[in-house]
Amino acid sequence: MKKKWIASLLTAAMTASLLTGCGGSETPSTATDTQDTAQTAETDNGGAEEESGASDEGAAAEESAGGDVTIKLFSNLPDRKNGQGLVEQMIIDEYMAANPNVSIEVEALDEEAYKTKFKAYAMDGMPDVVSIWGQPSFLDEVLDAGVLAELNEDDYVDYGFIPGSLDGFKKDEKLYGLPRNTDIMLFYYNQKMFDDNGWKVPATTDELLSLCEDIQAAGITPVAMDGGDGWPMACFLTDIMVKVAGINYADIVSNAVATGDFTAPEIKQATQILVSFADAGMFQVGYDSQDYGTTMNLFTNGQAAMYCMGSWDASMALNEDIAPEIRDNIRAFTMPTVDGGKGGANDIAAWNGGGYAVSANSAVKDEAVKFLNYMYQPDKLSKYGWENGVGMSAQDQTAYLTGNETELQKQIMDILKNATSVSGTPINDCGPSAFKTAIESEIQGVSNGSTSVDDFLAAIGAACK
Amino acid sequence: MKKLYSNKPIIFSLVLPGLLVFLFAVLAPICLSVYYGFTDYTGMGEAHLVGFKNYATLIHDSAFGRSLRNSLLLAIGFICIQHPLAILVAAVLDKLQGKAEGVFRCIYFIPNVISVAVIAYLWKFIYNPDFGLLNNIAKAFGHPGKINWLSQQNAIWSVLIVLIWHGFGWGMLIYYTGIKNIDPVLYEAASIDGANWWTTFFKITLPLMKPVIQINVTMAIISALKQMETVYLLTNGGPNNSTQFAANYLYQQAFKAFKYGYGNAIGVVFIIICVLATVALNTIFRDKQEQREK
Repeated sequence: MKKKWIASLLTAAMTASLLTGCGGSETPSTATDTQDTAQTAETDNGGAEEESGASDEGAAAEESAGGDVTIKLFSNLPDRKNGQGLVEQMIIDEYMAANPNVSIEVEALDEEAYKTKFKAYAMDGMPDVVSIWGQPSFLDEVLDAGVLAELNEDDYVDYGFIPGSLDGFKKDEKLYGLPRNTDIMLFYYNQKMFDDNGWKVPATTDELLSLCEDIQAAGITPVAMDGGDGWPMACFLTDIMVKVAGINYADIVSNAVATGDFTAPEIKQATQILVSFADAGMFQVGYDSQDYGTTMNLFTNGQAAMYCMGSWDASMALNEDIAPEIRDNIRAFTMPTVDGGKGGANDIAAWNGGGYAVSANSAVKDEAVKFLNYMYQPDKLSKYGWENGVGMSAQDQTAYLTGNETELQKQIMDILKNATSVSGTPINDCGPSAFKTAIESEIQGVSNGSTSVDDFLAAIGAACK
Repeated sequence: MKKLYSNKPIIFSLVLPGLLVFLFAVLAPICLSVYYGFTDYTGMGEAHLVGFKNYATLIHDSAFGRSLRNSLLLAIGFICIQHPLAILVAAVLDKLQGKAEGVFRCIYFIPNVISVAVIAYLWKFIYNPDFGLLNNIAKAFGHPGKINWLSQQNAIWSVLIVLIWHGFGWGMLIYYTGIKNIDPVLYEAASIDGANWWTTFFKITLPLMKPVIQINVTMAIISALKQMETVYLLTNGGPNNSTQFAANYLYQQAFKAFKYGYGNAIGVVFIIICVLATVALNTIFRDKQEQREK
């Protein structure tokens, strides 16, 4: 009898421990549960104590009896000490200092991990303020699911947004997010290296090819290209296509995405040019399997003469981790013109991509919108971004010119000022996310020669259907 | 005690926790996967039933075909390269005795102790054409150019080497334990009869290791099919899906391409393949056992 009793007790204990493992979703988790590479920002006056009981899944924020508010910010900027992440963190710290009752918790992941977790949050309840991209490949599905709060466009009349920059963040004329940057596709180059070797910035793609031959002959990699991720190469293809098709780029691409037919001569020609660049050895050996960091390091270590990336990397010129002889000599130019192409030197590949939005189901929606609006006050994101060399914002920045801008910043500003047309969304972000996944993988195959141009165009067309 | 085990409520209460785990952590997710496999669910919003459309697409999906081919290659690599080597090393370790035995056992097991993320980045650097170890060695031997170890053509072999190397210690440890369990009297008897090391290995060690080999081979095939983390971190299936594996492809489709329904269809096919592989292996091994018993 005694044994029976003991056995029953053991079983009960085992079952209880099991059920404990299954349950617990109601238990408030600590902030650290959801912090991956994240860090938590707290107020100076003891906000740290608030966070321990702060979050419950996505409905992460709570208002306690004392009126204290916790806003959860989910960001795609894991580097909080450089570039855009630093700017974001500066504004958060300022906001918390100005509003002692508000504590902002940051969870930051890099882009791919961010997008994956974003989706998990979308199913389960979002943090209050989130990073988004105003492009069909990301936003269409997100808006269909109704997880973002509508913003009042009239609130932003005085915020100095560049005309057209809000368009990507709208659906049915309703605004759901705000753009952070104006991104321009660039060739960064090492001017000292160019001068020492007598190399000149190319004006046409033929000149670019012969420049690459010269650079190769000197034993240096001509262009560092992040081909492992797929999307930078798709932006590069966009850049070529702008020079081939000129102002017709957006129409040609949206028509191709709508019909699934990518055989338009402009798209084909641009792809062929990309292939000819890769064939000529323009990119580093193994570019199609190398990641962002490795590629950037090739350029910042002086192993590559040029680096193809967006204007968000202009903060390289202020990054103290890069040797001064390279950092101070970084300059940029845009894609050279294509012989017979419709795009001129000042028709550039540029778009308003990343930005922020507020969750539709946020428990502290008003506070979150207040914080969002604070971030976008012209003297915040725009000003700090400019001062930290983070490239161009989506707002008018002319008031914040200090005269101490880096040469690179001035160049990028001139490129945008002199632009006769801007492309809008890069090709990989123009279609559904299945198309984005397909083109970013297939572009590796077509550039390295394992897929023919026709097969590439057919494969990305199939992904749109 | 006997009375205790014949008490049905007690038996039920003992089985219940395991049963609950199976129901909610295995069976329920599989059923949900089967359901979502028939929908166009994007992961957000509403799901609509689309019948067998996802499965029809899957049949013609060359990337999925390539990922299965890669899993097969990996399984072959495990069985034909990793395991024979692991058995031999285990047998040699067993003969070493003393301190050296422990030291080498530790060394061979080290790759298994290191995190997959570290392994992936370590090999990423080893394979790097500009500053990688392999190319520097090649250069030291007079090779002029930069070899692209992760090119479209080479990448799958480079990835296989990493996976085989990484799993080697685990396989070896299981074989080593198996060898340790063989009665030493048999070896003594063999040595009295004048058998050399190879004869002892083939006539005593290998036949008595059969159950261990069966378990290890089954585990190797299942792990080849399930391969994900190392590939995700090393190449993420690229360039152009040349190193794609089913689990990684499933992840990409479900969470990157927003094709959650399609991802679940891949998952269902994946489960069927895993179950078929396990059943086939069990049948093969059982037949052999029965033949032996006859």
